Amino acid sequence: MDAKTQKYDRQLRLWGNNGQAALESAHILLVNASAVGCEILKNMVLPGIGQFTVVDAGQVTLDDIGSNFFLDAESLGKSRAERAYELLGELNDDVQGHWASKDILSILAEEPNYLSKFSVVIVSNVSQATARKLAYLCSKDTTFVWVKTVGLVGQVRIAIPEHVIVESHPDNVADLRIDSPFLELASYATSFNFDTEDTMEFGHIPYVAILLKYMEEWKQTHGGKIPSTYAEKNQLKANIRAGMRSPDDENFDEAINSVLRSCQATVVPSSIKELFKDEKCENLTTDSSTFWIILRAVRDFVEDSGKSSGFLPLSGTIPDMKAQTDSYVTLQSIYKGKAKQDVEDVTKNVNSILERLGRAAESITSQEIESFCKFSAFLKVICYRSLEDEYQHPKTKQIASWLADPESVFPYYVILRASDAFFEQEGRYPGEGPSDGTVWEEEDVPKLHSLVAGLLQSWGLERDAVPRDLTYEICRYGNGAIHNIASFMGGVVSQEIIKLITHQYIPMDNTFVFDGARSVSAVFSL
Amino acid sequence: MVDAQSTLTLDDSQRWAGVYKLLDRSSLIHPEFEPVDQIKEFIKEAKILVIGAGGLGCEILKNLALSGFCNIHVIDMDTIDVSNLNRQFLFRRADVGKPKAVTAAAFINKRVQGVTVTPHYCKIQDKDEDFYQEFALVICGLDSIEARRWMNATLFGMFDPENPDTMKPLIDGGTEGFKGQARVILPGNTSCYECSMDMLSKPTGFPLCTIANTPRLPEHCIEWASVLEWPNKHGERKMDTDDPKDIQWLYETALARAKQYNIQGVTYSLTQGVVKNIIPAIASTNAIIAASCCNEALKLASTSAKYLNNYMMYSGNDSVYTYTFEHQRKDDCPVCGNAVSKMEFRGDKTLEEFMDFLKEKPDAQLKKPSFAIAGKPLYLQAPKSLEEALRPNLLKPLKDLVSSGDQITVTDSTLPFSLQVEITLV
Repeated sequence: MDAKTQKYDRQLRLWGNNGQAALESAHILLVNASAVGCEILKNMVLPGIGQFTVVDAGQVTLDDIGSNFFLDAESLGKSRAERAYELLGELNDDVQGHWASKDILSILAEEPNYLSKFSVVIVSNVSQATARKLAYLCSKDTTFVWVKTVGLVGQVRIAIPEHVIVESHPDNVADLRIDSPFLELASYATSFNFDTEDTMEFGHIPYVAILLKYMEEWKQTHGGKIPSTYAEKNQLKANIRAGMRSPDDENFDEAINSVLRSCQATVVPSSIKELFKDEKCENLTTDSSTFWIILRAVRDFVEDSGKSSGFLPLSGTIPDMKAQTDSYVTLQSIYKGKAKQDVEDVTKNVNSILERLGRAAESITSQEIESFCKFSAFLKVICYRSLEDEYQHPKTKQIASWLADPESVFPYYVILRASDAFFEQEGRYPGEGPSDGTVWEEEDVPKLHSLVAGLLQSWGLERDAVPRDLTYEICRYGNGAIHNIASFMGGVVSQEIIKLITHQYIPMDNTFVFDGARSVSAVFSL
Repeated sequence: MVDAQSTLTLDDSQRWAGVYKLLDRSSLIHPEFEPVDQIKEFIKEAKILVIGAGGLGCEILKNLALSGFCNIHVIDMDTIDVSNLNRQFLFRRADVGKPKAVTAAAFINKRVQGVTVTPHYCKIQDKDEDFYQEFALVICGLDSIEARRWMNATLFGMFDPENPDTMKPLIDGGTEGFKGQARVILPGNTSCYECSMDMLSKPTGFPLCTIANTPRLPEHCIEWASVLEWPNKHGERKMDTDDPKDIQWLYETALARAKQYNIQGVTYSLTQGVVKNIIPAIASTNAIIAASCCNEALKLASTSAKYLNNYMMYSGNDSVYTYTFEHQRKDDCPVCGNAVSKMEFRGDKTLEEFMDFLKEKPDAQLKKPSFAIAGKPLYLQAPKSLEEALRPNLLKPLKDLVSSGDQITVTDSTLPFSLQVEITLV
């Protein structure tokens, strides 16, 4: 085992070499070396992100070193970007860091395409206007992340026009085709002697063969139909139970326990049918991504019922089951063989599409096609709403229903929006300033609360839909950075970024709010 | 007081501005809170104990130091391994082999001025009640169920309802891949770690007959190599799962068996994963859970917001999901309850089978149980002479040893408490 595999062993078990390679070719930009920003980078540098860049025009203050672990007493007065780069960079020799002690807007004035070299742009401690501008400037291949922490509250917004996932890591990918076995599988099932005198042999008939036998018998007595209602499925279970000879026949128990999951009609899931209908699948162009090209090839495969029987490519994976080694290995190779055949058929489709588009056959690897076929029932496409849509076309009905729930953390989203408006008017955030005194309570609370009411009214909602106690709480926090919250949000955001970069697991869509006072959170699609 | 040694005196109210706003200002959602200056003094001076200086521990130490806690202790018996470096950010490659507690403490002491972390490079079991009594709060960041059970039972054992000073809040964090949980345990008030043993998944194990006769998965071949073939070939020498040579031998042995049976998928990495029972671990999940634990610590110590009552689950596989709920006490909990737990077992099964059942039962998970009935031993793991004398009992059917309604006392050297089982023979 090489040194890198040893170092990354505990994470490679989650996202494998493909995921790791994706991380290693990514470059992350952090705009402002805030406590939460540095915590995000820490969790990206440790697992070996390719490169990171810190952009921050400021100098290190006392307030910074009390909340940010990557700025220390020695850093006081020095460039925040440079010190954060130094203290984060030493976490991992394999990672390349960069820094610029400049304001992001002045960089963009000189170099308008600056953001396009990054896979992810993370911004924190910026005004709403700057955040919206940066989000707007991110290209379709750059993930935009805007994170805020205010006292015990944290919030993050993610936006990228399209995110596709092949390896969503579902719990169970087995696709056993009990209702409609392909030829090799059907003849495998009939190769077992259910009348054998040998109790050892009987107790080791794989449950898949048991299900196939009883399903076939059911179909013959029910006009070719499979059990569909709960009662019918229970009857099928009872039939299987009646075939059991001793309570020790665990293989029959396994068969009975998997009736509900495995004895359903094999269909193309509706979510995948929707993707088939997507315009991007329908009208491929030379710019179409690998995902949509393979998806189209899979669609063509499904439509060719002579090859697919109208089903998705087989996953080829089976669970463990009580069986003799030989019969298990044979069953495994039957499923794998059919899956391989399906992959070959899809590959032919992919190649003819590539040819039609005038693209090289090797531009899509066999590994990509294989994994696409294996997980074809679990593909996912997330189209994040843009920040501009969120601000210009608010989902007022949804917002009203979130606000109607007294337990919801959604009011904090509204208050943080109003806080941004407060900043635009006052040049400071509500409650900022010395922690004693009464200004925050007597002046800022009513001012912020009227901004909250105004925002609600602009959405056509009741002006008092957000409790004043919560507005008060945000003023109490005074835009203060509390390290625990920065670290919590740093963990959440880095995990989402890892999912986005690796295209594995499912990221949240699109806003996450955490209330550290109650230790509760929720995701809102704004 | 000015520290003459310090070249620089940091102004606390500026440095801890974020936290101090929380401590200086009242709250309408938590009106019970009274902002008084003693709270800041308490946070500075309170002794906090961190158990574990690994993935969670490194994060917890950092978070406590940046919350204003200045007197922190940490216990860890481990040394640094190269596979820790992807998340245990207080360690560098040059630190591999050094004690985690000592290295982590030195790092924090250097990075965060005014904070003293005192390391204890030892097992938690090496410390006595007097040691634990000194702390205001204990935070556990462990990957071992056994150590958590020990710590939980020890803190509950120390609790005297007549003396509030003996109540030591225990904040416990745990992670596995993209999932984790944080919880607050208050002796005399909330459910305890032992109450939730049944929430743990059953320890993975494969039936011996499968391993020996009908292997189907690569894992079966690896288990065969480590459980059956190792003692065959190496006699008394115990396997060292940290020694690459031993893992290599297991890998090759398992691979040969897999070839013989036509089984695919035995790899070095899988071999290591199975024999060391490796749980995937990443920086981000550790950060989330540790931060949640320390957020609760700050809230508990400062009373500035309500603390978690009492359990938060986190899952990041599909979106970001947290679930916060009150985990209920278990009446028959052997640590915080007092009722006897009732079990049914077949009278024709042997005491050994009963023992295996308790080893696998999720809420028991005993390692080396001993059994007694009304003070009379049925089977004892030690001393050796008694173990040998009582060993024949293991093969006797339960009905020859006990009657329905009998109360069996089960003890285990790894646990500082006993289990009272009222048995019903069926």
